[in-house]
Amino acid sequence: MSAREQLAATLACGAVLAAAPWLLSDFLLSLALSCLMYAALAVSWAMFCGPTHYLSLATSAFFGLGAYVTAWSLESLPYGVAVLAGGLIGVAFAALIGAAVLHLRGAYFAVITFGLGELTLHLITYTEKTYFHTAGRIISDAPDNAAIYWTVLVLTLGAVATAILVRASRLGLALRGIGADEERAQTLGVDTRRVKILAFALSAFFPGALGAAMAVRWTYIEPLSVFNPFIGFQTVLMAMLGGAHTLIGPIVSAVFFSLVSEFLRLRFPYVFLLLLGLLLIALILYLPGGLASLLRRRGRADA
Amino acid sequence: MPEALLAARAVTVRFGGLVAVDGVDLEARHGELVGLIGPNGAGKTTLFHALSGVLAPDAGRLLVAGEDLTGSAPHVFAAHGVARTFQMPRVFRDMSAEDNVRFALQFAGRTRRHAHDAFDDARTILGFLGLGAASAVAAGALTPARQRLLEIGMALGARPRVLLLDEIAAGLTPAELETCAQLIRRVRDELGVAVIWIEHAVRVLMSHVERVAVLHQGRKIADGDPRAVAKDAAVIEAYLGEEGVGSEGGRERRVA
Ligand SMILES: Nc1ncnc2c1ncn2[C@@H]1O[C@H](COP(=O)(O)OP(=O)(O)O)[C@@H](O)[C@H]1O
Ligand SMILES: [Mg+2]
Repeated sequence: MSAREQLAATLACGAVLAAAPWLLSDFLLSLALSCLMYAALAVSWAMFCGPTHYLSLATSAFFGLGAYVTAWSLESLPYGVAVLAGGLIGVAFAALIGAAVLHLRGAYFAVITFGLGELTLHLITYTEKTYFHTAGRIISDAPDNAAIYWTVLVLTLGAVATAILVRASRLGLALRGIGADEERAQTLGVDTRRVKILAFALSAFFPGALGAAMAVRWTYIEPLSVFNPFIGFQTVLMAMLGGAHTLIGPIVSAVFFSLVSEFLRLRFPYVFLLLLGLLLIALILYLPGGLASLLRRRGRADA
Repeated sequence: MPEALLAARAVTVRFGGLVAVDGVDLEARHGELVGLIGPNGAGKTTLFHALSGVLAPDAGRLLVAGEDLTGSAPHVFAAHGVARTFQMPRVFRDMSAEDNVRFALQFAGRTRRHAHDAFDDARTILGFLGLGAASAVAAGALTPARQRLLEIGMALGARPRVLLLDEIAAGLTPAELETCAQLIRRVRDELGVAVIWIEHAVRVLMSHVERVAVLHQGRKIADGDPRAVAKDAAVIEAYLGEEGVGSEGGRERRVA
């Protein structure tokens, strides 16, 4: 499929999905919301980490920061503006930490992005306690469920469209080169440092904006609940299980695991985590390209 | 005499206590084909690392068309028209041969045009190198010898002004080696680039280059007309115990 066709398909899916608030019960709508959110998180994670083979654990931090943008500003700003601001905060934060730590690779990068997320959590806890004398914030006048759903849908479509455009662009080519052999890409003229910071920052818009958009689902916001590392882990697992180098893999996998997780979490909460962990280990050992590699025959996957 | 396109001035590169390149001066002018030889471990590849920004020299200056690029990142050297191959091929294995060349065209080669537009598109470049039939093949699936050719293709895709070739002919038969040498001369003639060519097949190299520089234990011990250099006592001394200046090294493959 060409990028143009992929964009058209995305738009068509979006048009169908937009009808959900009129058709689905509250329970199903919240399930759909969770699928969309994880699809967007997984796609934006894979946008940078897929081609470059970086393992970022910063998703929770972007998400939590976005949520706090809403917590701080919802009384003074319209919801849509808060969501946009959440995305931009994600971009700014990613650019900052990207400039500082993108020269690290492998486990070092994973650990430091996770650590920076924890640091942010504690910074916010500290700030709230010291200067605002509060442990958490109550969200009043939240938008209704349909408005939240449509906002998250727009963000998901935006994430998928961005991923399509990045893949088809020189930026995407540069990222693939960086993943294959960073120094070689440099000798062929790629300013790898700039490219990495740019793409990492771009990919952080969506988790930031999603955090801001989803924050209104909580009535009470505190750092520990919105900087939940589980959101980040689950995103990484979904993207990798689906095949982070593909476009469709992380989407399908995010939807599938959101549904399974909802089902299992209601019945056997711990079995689910155990199962996901085992599945990940098995896949990394036996199917490093993710489930998507099962689908491709010979040659290159064109997902 | 025109200004050197590429000039190393007293370049030194150390690895811990080992001085791999020791105060070396080297120049290449517009349209010049320069050979660079020396026994294994002489520092030839390390000098290329310095000339392409892959390693910053510990001392000395690097000038590209008169501009001081010492300490710049490799993409800056690439942007100024310095393109290189790697002795151990470093092609993007999962990309097709054509995409490998296109990669270079899209980045380093983006802002320059070639003097000769026969080299301005990935397929033509591959065709020129005899890789036309392999353009859709994943680069990692090519034989090492063909990966070396592809390395040249990637370097050409960068639309270079200076071309650094590191043992591209290793593992070729004498006949293939001669073809390869003709190819390099054609590139030089048609594009007017400056070429520095490292090769272990010293005799063949000497018969094609206008000038040859010799490295030994990191030092440049000779630089000049190939016939004069071949008679140089220090050069013969350096190669004693190795295979001798005149020997045919075409078939050997090193594991450096
Ligand atoms: N990355 C490195 N670390 C330490 N020593 C190195 C490294 N690369 C090369 N050397 C040493 O530097 C010297 C020059 O190596 P090299 O430039 O590869 O020689 P040549 O290409 O002439 O065979 C050799 O002694 C080699 O062992
Ligand atoms: Mg060498």
